[in-house]
Amino acid sequence: MVDQVIAETGLEASKQQARQRRRAVGLALPLIAFVLASFVAPLGTLLVRSAYDPLVADALPETLTLLRAWDGTSALEEPVYATAARELLQAREERTLGQIATRVNRIKSGLRSVVTRSVRKLRNASGDSWRETMIGIDDAWGEPEVWLAIRSAGERFTLRHYINALDLMRQPDGSIARQPEERRIYLPLLWRTLAISLGISALCLVIGYPIAHLIAHAPPRRANLLLLLVLVPFWTSLLVRTTAWIVLLQTQGVINSLLVAIGLVADDGRIAMIYNMTGTFVAMTHVLLPFMVLPLYSVMRSIPPSHVRAAASLGATPFQAFWRVYWPQTLPGVGAGSLMVFILAIGYYITPALVGGSKGQLISNMIAYHMQTSLNWGLAAALAAILLVGIIALYVLYDRVVGIDRMRLG
Amino acid sequence: MVSTDGTPHVEFTGVSKSYDGRNWVVRDLDLAVQKGEFLTMLGPSGSGKTTCLMMLAGFETPAAGTIHINGVPVGDLPPHKRDIGVVFQNYALFPHMTVGGNLAFPLEVRGMDPSEQQERVARTLRLVRLEGLEDRRPGQLSGGQQQRVAIARALVFDPELVLMDEPLGALDRRLREEMQYEIRRIQRTLGITVVYVTHDQQEAMVMSDRVAVFRGGAIEQVASPEVLYEEPERAFVAHFIGENNRLNGVVRTVGDGVCEVEVGDALIKAVSLGQCPPGAAATVVVRPERVNISLGEGRHSYANEFDADIEDIAFLGDHIRLRLKLCGHSGFIVKIPNVVGHGGVLEGDQIRVGWTALDCRALKPDAADDGEDPSASG
Amino acid sequence: MLARWVYLAFCTAAFVFLVAPILVIVPLSFNAEPYFTFTEGMLRFDPEAYSLRWYRSIFEDGVWTRALVNSLVIGVSATLLATSLGTLAALGLANSAMPARRTVMGLLISPMITPVIIAAVGMFFFYSSLGLAQTHLGIILAHAVLGVPFVVITVTATLSGFDQNLMRAAASLGAGPLRSFWRVQLPLIAPGVASGGLFAFAASFDEVVVVLFMGGLEQRTIPRQMWAGIREQISPTILAVATFLIVFAVLVLFTVEWLRRRGGQAPSGGD
Ligand SMILES: Nc1ncnc2c1ncn2[C@@H]1O[C@H](COP(=O)(O)OP(=O)(O)OP(=O)(O)O)[C@@H](O)[C@H]1O
Ligand SMILES: [Mg+2]
Repeated sequence: MVDQVIAETGLEASKQQARQRRRAVGLALPLIAFVLASFVAPLGTLLVRSAYDPLVADALPETLTLLRAWDGTSALEEPVYATAARELLQAREERTLGQIATRVNRIKSGLRSVVTRSVRKLRNASGDSWRETMIGIDDAWGEPEVWLAIRSAGERFTLRHYINALDLMRQPDGSIARQPEERRIYLPLLWRTLAISLGISALCLVIGYPIAHLIAHAPPRRANLLLLLVLVPFWTSLLVRTTAWIVLLQTQGVINSLLVAIGLVADDGRIAMIYNMTGTFVAMTHVLLPFMVLPLYSVMRSIPPSHVRAAASLGATPFQAFWRVYWPQTLPGVGAGSLMVFILAIGYYITPALVGGSKGQLISNMIAYHMQTSLNWGLAAALAAILLVGIIALYVLYDRVVGIDRMRLG
Repeated sequence: MVSTDGTPHVEFTGVSKSYDGRNWVVRDLDLAVQKGEFLTMLGPSGSGKTTCLMMLAGFETPAAGTIHINGVPVGDLPPHKRDIGVVFQNYALFPHMTVGGNLAFPLEVRGMDPSEQQERVARTLRLVRLEGLEDRRPGQLSGGQQQRVAIARALVFDPELVLMDEPLGALDRRLREEMQYEIRRIQRTLGITVVYVTHDQQEAMVMSDRVAVFRGGAIEQVASPEVLYEEPERAFVAHFIGENNRLNGVVRTVGDGVCEVEVGDALIKAVSLGQCPPGAAATVVVRPERVNISLGEGRHSYANEFDADIEDIAFLGDHIRLRLKLCGHSGFIVKIPNVVGHGGVLEGDQIRVGWTALDCRALKPDAADDGEDPSASG
Repeated sequence: MLARWVYLAFCTAAFVFLVAPILVIVPLSFNAEPYFTFTEGMLRFDPEAYSLRWYRSIFEDGVWTRALVNSLVIGVSATLLATSLGTLAALGLANSAMPARRTVMGLLISPMITPVIIAAVGMFFFYSSLGLAQTHLGIILAHAVLGVPFVVITVTATLSGFDQNLMRAAASLGAGPLRSFWRVQLPLIAPGVASGGLFAFAASFDEVVVVLFMGGLEQRTIPRQMWAGIREQISPTILAVATFLIVFAVLVLFTVEWLRRRGGQAPSGGD
């Protein structure tokens, strides 16, 4: 009897809960769907792009079937040449030849022109043997390298972009090795990005901590005023702030002119403070500083002044009072601010692109470069995917340390 | 005012409630409230009072049992269709509406026309003595005024039943006493039924026709304040309402409405409710003000008379409070009315105390405590 | 005592670092010469050295007005989308019965944490495949999703200070769920919703990366135009535009602070 009532009790309670739950989920669902469709799906596409490239495979299906049966060293027979010639000419008709050539070229450089030039000439060629014709046009067609490159470019699923992005390479025997030191690009850039981000976080903490402290313990009116000095930059357009630093720091800019005017610097010895690492460092610290100050401020404001006074009354020196009583209580703010600045810095693009010159570029700029200039989208996607994994890890860390539901704005 | 015939206004039958499906917050509760009655739910924190009120108002669903209002089960009626006035503990006034707006809200949602709304709002504000404050925002009122607005808002649409959950909890003592009287006056004037929640026993006694004493999700006793005080049926009620001395012992004989309980080496004669057969454990309760003392020479003839040592004396203005050691029990409390001062007793004196058998009751011991702390209260 | 002076001097320097770069832009935008530095005339406060020519050139050059229209159309649409969906979701998240609350919150806030470049690249691939690249709709959807976290965070914070008893009170007075929402809850959380919307609008109004990757000539917004200005031909017109944007930022800032006060929340910085 009692058990039955308990069972019914549980049932009714869970029914009511289920109703509540349905309502809550129903409210959140439209946004969840929207975010999944317009944000998560694009990220998914990006991941697919980084490892999936059907272009060559779709354009040269029969050639690739033949090549896959080949041992990779012996001389190829006429049917391969005939099929390849037909499919390449077809690709030229469909205007995908350029893209095919680019992809083959990425496997072994120098092959772009071999492919495009040969196919152009093939158009007018006639003969019994495509093999001889092609080798006649370019000796390279007689070598296995070209065919190996085509076969490799023809893989639909490939880790090639990740191998490139991690400065690795596939050796002829198929094993993976690191690139020689001087040809490593991306890992050093990744380390540089991490180092700069760490440096910027540290700098923001060093600058932000005292001013957050000052604001948090100032009388209300003055605190509000000082807070405005933090919030105005926070709300000002990123591009405006970056422009401001260009205006200040460039060789013909305000600071250099000032230094020349007061004679500290010769007119022909103006200091290069921008379009290099310094530019990135200074401008990004400025941009990210409010993200450090605001969480610090909100934590410090909740620390009653009586704590430090109590420490002093117990005989602590000001330093001891700070270090033993005040600082530990601000650690949540320090964690929240530093992590946030670090996360934002790692993925920063605009500021380094505009004021970083060639030395002050970060990983994001490399992604943009491969998207816009080299048009190696697969590699861009792989780099972005690697960055994304790092950011997700940091995000999880932020959630553990701070809690994403405790995040506040401005 | 209280009509005892006909169907009760509110009736809980076998109502149980659990929030998590494991622990019972309310268990198998039966309670009937008559029309026009002022019933107070009194009990310690977490005893399920608010939960009962919220089930009645429709904000929570009972897991088992039914609630009837005017004889009609209300299980499927959503809160906004129940026509029950509710006064919330923190008032829950709408801060973005004026006092007038707050009061007009229930009239407006009932589609009443504006002129009648105004007239009603004014009349209700007069009832709670807040004329002329229509245009203030709740934030611009004192705590007591906000309280009155909350009451007015719960009354303005003429509900027959009004629920109040610790409405005076946030007020200071003086204001609280005044509001207790006000609420009682309004309830009598309008003849409405009020179900009131508090954990302040004095408030419950001042205001209520009947008090339901809650404990752990069940009702221990429902009765008028006087009956609860004079004739508690449970040890818990005996010490929750007012102050009581509790002496634990074993029943020796049971006679006609009277029994003898052996406490230490003494035998105490007490009213028996038939709860404890001979040989069973019993708690004897006796009110501190019903104990008489004499200083040795003049002997009384009480059914219960013992020697006691004075452990402590405290002067409390209207009475003097003695702490005694009696029958091996320490901390037995006696209150002497301050008529002639403390009559020359001193700490360490031995005195003689006595009380009649009718002034003490033998109850079944409270399972949940060992009876050593006689001053437990809500 | 010395320590205190060092501390104050350091803080002063830090505040100068924060604000000076922004303040420098304003006078330079009135420069009569096409330079990015103070001319001697400007330093002598010679009226001749100041002019409004860069402001005139904003309006003469249709590029900027077109960019403004684009920015407003995109910003307002994205804000409406983000604010309405975001507010509903925040209402769901505020309910204790919401399952997997933390995970959902993490998902909804992720657009703010993800580097825009990654989002932009992914969106470029995905939206191109749907034919939405180089359309206003594509950019609006992208900006809306980037604005969602601001709305969710702000409205959730506002709701956490909302007294649920008010909704029970409304029900006890006879108002159904929908009416209780419109008459009681929405008016009370409106300041939070509005400031969430302002955050979302400001985010869209300042967004350049997505526009850079996904937008065509037709979708040039103000930041996109500034980007072009900085990269290609740097003319003081940009400083005039920047001055407008600074004024805009200050207005938004004061509005948000005003809303925060109206919402009865703690002053800036949150807690
Ligand atoms: N929404 C809820 N979810 C889960 N448990 C609850 C909920 N509301 C109340 N409880 C639990 O139910 C029990 C009874 O709570 P209730 O609020 O009814 O007590 P109460 O008698 O009104 O106490 P108080 O005098 O402190 O107001 C408590 O143990 C409480 O923790
Ligand atoms: Mg309660």
